[in-house]
Amino acid sequence: MKQGFISSFQIILQLALTTAGLTGQSYPGKPTIVRCRSLEKETFSCWWKPGSDGGLPTNYTLFYSKDSEEKIYECPDYQASGPNSCYFDKNHTNPWRTYIITVMATNEIGSNSSDPQYVDVTSIVQPDAPVNLSLETKTSANITYLWAKWSPPPLADVSSNSHVYHYDLRLKPEEKEEWETISVGVQTHYKVTGLHAGVKYVVQVRCILDIGEWSEWSSERHIQIPSGESPPEKPTIIKCRSPEKETFTCWWKPGSDGGHPTNHTLLYSKEGEEKVYECPDYKTAGPNSCYFDKKHTSFWTIYNITVRATNEMGSNVSDPHYVDVTYIVQPDPPVNITLELKKSVNRKPYLVLTWSPPPLADVRSGWLTLEYELRLKPEEGEEWETIFVGQQTQCKMFSLNPGKRYIVQIHCKPDHHGSWSEWSPEMYIQIPTDFRVKDMVVWIIVGVLSSLICLIMSWTMILKGYRMMAFILPPVPGPKIKGIDTHLLETGKSEELLSALGCHGFPPTSDCEELLIEYLEVEDSEDQQLMPSHDTPSKNKKMIPKETDSDSGRGSCDSPSLLSEKCRESRAHPLALQTQDVRAVQENTGAKRSWETQCIASEQKALLFNSESAKSSTWPAAQLPNNHLPMFAYHSTVEAHNIVLSTTNVNVSPVLVGNEEKHQSQYPITETVHDNMEKQREMEISKTDQTTVQVKQNRHSDKPPFLNPKLMDYVEVHKVRQDEEPTVLLKHKENTGKTEKYTVPGTSKEYTKVSTVVNHNILVLMPDSRIQHTPVSQEPAMETSHNLQQGQAEKNMSYCLTAPSNCKRETSGSEYMDPSSFMPSFK
Amino acid sequence: CHTSGMLTPNGKEYAQKIPREELTHLILKLLQAWKEPLSHFNQHIEHHQELPDDSLSKAKQISNMVHELKTGVEKVTEKARFLMYNSLNGMASSEGTGLSISNEANMMSDSDFIHCFRRDSNKVQSYLKILKCRIMPENSC
Repeated sequence: MKQGFISSFQIILQLALTTAGLTGQSYPGKPTIVRCRSLEKETFSCWWKPGSDGGLPTNYTLFYSKDSEEKIYECPDYQASGPNSCYFDKNHTNPWRTYIITVMATNEIGSNSSDPQYVDVTSIVQPDAPVNLSLETKTSANITYLWAKWSPPPLADVSSNSHVYHYDLRLKPEEKEEWETISVGVQTHYKVTGLHAGVKYVVQVRCILDIGEWSEWSSERHIQIPSGESPPEKPTIIKCRSPEKETFTCWWKPGSDGGHPTNHTLLYSKEGEEKVYECPDYKTAGPNSCYFDKKHTSFWTIYNITVRATNEMGSNVSDPHYVDVTYIVQPDPPVNITLELKKSVNRKPYLVLTWSPPPLADVRSGWLTLEYELRLKPEEGEEWETIFVGQQTQCKMFSLNPGKRYIVQIHCKPDHHGSWSEWSPEMYIQIPTDFRVKDMVVWIIVGVLSSLICLIMSWTMILKGYRMMAFILPPVPGPKIKGIDTHLLETGKSEELLSALGCHGFPPTSDCEELLIEYLEVEDSEDQQLMPSHDTPSKNKKMIPKETDSDSGRGSCDSPSLLSEKCRESRAHPLALQTQDVRAVQENTGAKRSWETQCIASEQKALLFNSESAKSSTWPAAQLPNNHLPMFAYHSTVEAHNIVLSTTNVNVSPVLVGNEEKHQSQYPITETVHDNMEKQREMEISKTDQTTVQVKQNRHSDKPPFLNPKLMDYVEVHKVRQDEEPTVLLKHKENTGKTEKYTVPGTSKEYTKVSTVVNHNILVLMPDSRIQHTPVSQEPAMETSHNLQQGQAEKNMSYCLTAPSNCKRETSGSEYMDPSSFMPSFK
Repeated sequence: CHTSGMLTPNGKEYAQKIPREELTHLILKLLQAWKEPLSHFNQHIEHHQELPDDSLSKAKQISNMVHELKTGVEKVTEKARFLMYNSLNGMASSEGTGLSISNEANMMSDSDFIHCFRRDSNKVQSYLKILKCRIMPENSC
C-alpha cells in the first residue's frame, strides 16, 4: 500500500515534472565546476559546465570568497579564458589563500547554484606544454646523435620570466609502444644517444614548475635516424646574383648526405636551347656555389638551373631555378667614400660626401646605371634618415648639428630591375663645433663688464643711497619765492607772509636792481601820446585790443584809484598795500601767480607812462627806488635805466624810458603821476610792465613764447580812466585791433598777453608768468602790473597781476606760489 | 617572343663592338616591331573588365611612349646622320616583316606578351644607354 502510494506519488511527481518539461520552462539545472587551473601560480582560471538551462536564457555568475571571509566577490573576468570560464588575473590571485567558488545559474524562473569548490592556487598549477620542438641528427665517427631542442611554454604575461621549468623528454621508435622517458632538467635541449640507425623515432617533451603538476606532453615529432646508407637529400638553390651585370653566381644548400660523402653538380640550360651545360666554375665563389663568367653569361635569356647531389647510394636533384641575369643584378656597395667639410657663405659648415661606384660596375659605358641612397644618424640616435641621392656620386648635407658625431652609410642599386647592394661600412663624421674665439671673447667681455657695472651700482647704492634716490627722483621743488618761508604759508600766518612777501626781504637787492635797470623798458616819446586823462580814444590809439587772452586774468591792472590809494597808503603801509595787492591779486581770478611776487610786491598799478609826464594823477606812481624795481627778468634790449617816468615831472628819474622804437613793445605807459612814488610806481609798474614784458622776453630769451624781444610792442596807454574803473586804456600802437597775441612767438609783436578785455577797451594784460623770482622791487607798493593791465575794471584790481601761468600758454612751470591759495584770510 | 628572331647582342661586349649605326638601326627595328602588337594589345585588354582602370591607361601610356621613343630616336639619328640610305631601306623592308611578326604576337598569351615586352624594352634601354655614353661620354657616364 505504501509502496503503491509511493509509486503513485512518484508517478505524479514525474508527471508534474514532465509537464513542466513539456512546457519547457523551469529553473535552470545545477552547473558544475569542471576544473580550475593555474598556469604559473600567479593567475588562474576556472571552467564550469552548465546544467540544463530550463528552456530559458540563462546567465551564469561565479561567486567566490576567500578562506573564511564572509565577503563574497564576483568573477573579475568572464571572457579571458573562453566561454563558461572565469579568469583571475594577478591582482585577484592570492596563492596563499583558499578560494571557495560557486557558480550560479539564473534564468527568469529561478536560479540554481553549484556545489562550492575549494581551490588552493598552489595545488592547481599546471603549465602548458613546451613548444617548438625540433630534432636533428648528427653523425660523427659513425655515431649518430639526435639533437632535440624546444622552447618553454609561452605565457600571456611575458614579463614574468622568473619561472623555472623542469623538463622531461620521452621518445620511442614509431612502431613500439613503450616510451623511454628522460629527465632533462632545466635546459631546453638535449642530446640523445643510443639510437638505432635506420629507425624512425617519435619524441615528446613536457615541463613542470617547482610546484604543481606536470604539463601535458608536447606534440609529437618524428625523426628518421639515418641508416648510413641512403641517397642524399635534395639540395636547394638559395639564390643567384650578378654583381655587375656581366657575370653571375649561384649558391645552393645541400640536404643531408645520407651517410656518405656527396657530390653536387650544377646543371643548366638556356632558354630556347636543349643543351644542358654544367657549371663552369665551382671554386671561385666558394663552397656550394657556381660562378658563371662573362663568356657563359647571356642576357635577356632565361637560365634553367638545377643541382644534383650524388653519393654512393644514389642521387637527388633539386628543383629547377629560372634566372634571367638582367633581373638579378645586385651591385657591391659604393667605395671611396670621402668627406669634406666646407664652409658656406655665412660661415655655416656643411658636409660634402663623395663616393665612387663599386669597382666592378661598368658605369662609364652606360651598361649599368646605378642609383645611390645614403642614410645617416647621429651616433647615439636610433633611427636612420635615408636620403635618396639618385645617380650622382656626391651629396651636400647642410643640416648637421655641430659638435655631434654622425654615422653615414651608402648603398646603390641598378636603376632598373635589380636589388640594393649591401650598405657600405659605417663612416663616422665629427662635425666641428662652430666655435669662434671672437664670439667667446665678446661674451666674456660683456659678462665681465656687466658684473662690474652691477658691483659699482650696488656699491653706490649702498653708500649713497639717499643721494642716488634724490638724483633719480628729484624732490618736487617748493616755491621759490625768495624770502618766502613755506612754513609760514602752511601755517597761514598771513601777516608774516605778507611781510615776507612784501617789503622787507622781498624786494630784491642789488642784483634785482641791476636787472631792472637792464631790462627796464622805457617807452619812447612817441608812445607818449597817450593822454591818460583826457585824451579821447580818438587819438590814434587803439584802445586796447579787446581781445583777451584766453587764460587771462590775473594780472589786472589796478585801478588807478585803488592804486593811488594804495600807493599813498602803501608807503605807509606797505603791508596794507600788499594786502591789497594780495587781495587784488587774489581777486583776480586765478591769478597766475607767477607774477605774484612781482605783482604783489610791487604795487604795480598799471601804470603807463610815457615820456611825457602823464598825469595820471590817480595813478600811483610806482615807486621806483632804484633798487626797488621789480625784478623782472629783463632781457630786453632796453637798457634799463631807472625806471623813469617819462614825465618830466617825475623827480625820480624815470626809469622807464619810453621804449625804444626798436622794441616797440606795446607798452602801456601811463603818465606818471606826480608823485614820485606814484611815478615810481608807475614806473615801476611800467617798468615792471616792461619788465614783465621784458621778463617775459627775458625769460624766454631763447624763445619768448609770445614775444620777440625785439619786437616788443607796447601798448600805449591811451587813457586812464579813473572813474569807476580804473582802467588804462591802451593805445594800440601798431596793430589795430590786434591785441597782443601772445601765442605767436616771435612773429607777433605783441608783448604781453592780454588776459581779458574789459569793457571793450580795457585790456588786461598778462605778463608772462615765467618771471620767477624777479623780485619785484621791494617797493611796498609795487604791484605787479603787466604792462598794462587794464584794470580789470574791477576794483579789486589793485594790482596788475602778472598773470603767470595761465597766461602763458606754454609751459609755465609755476614755481610761483599762488598767493591766492593762501590768501583767503585777506579776503 | 616574336622578336626572338632578331639578332641582338646579348652581352656588353657584343653591344659595344657593334658600330653605332647598326645599334641604332637595331633599336629602331625593335621599337618598330612593337608598335603594332602594342596597339592590338591595348584593344584587347579594353575588353577585360577585371583589370583596374589604371592598367588600361598605363598600357596606353606605354604605347605612346614607345611611339614617341621611336620618333625621338629617328630624329636623333637623322641629325647625326647615322642612318644611311640603305638602312632606311632596310627599315622599310622590315615593315613588311613586322606585320608577320605582329601576327605572331597576337597569338601570345597576355603574360607572355608582357614578359616579352619587358625584356625588349630593357634591351632597348641598355642599347640606348650604351649609345649615349658612346656619343656623349661626359654626361654621367
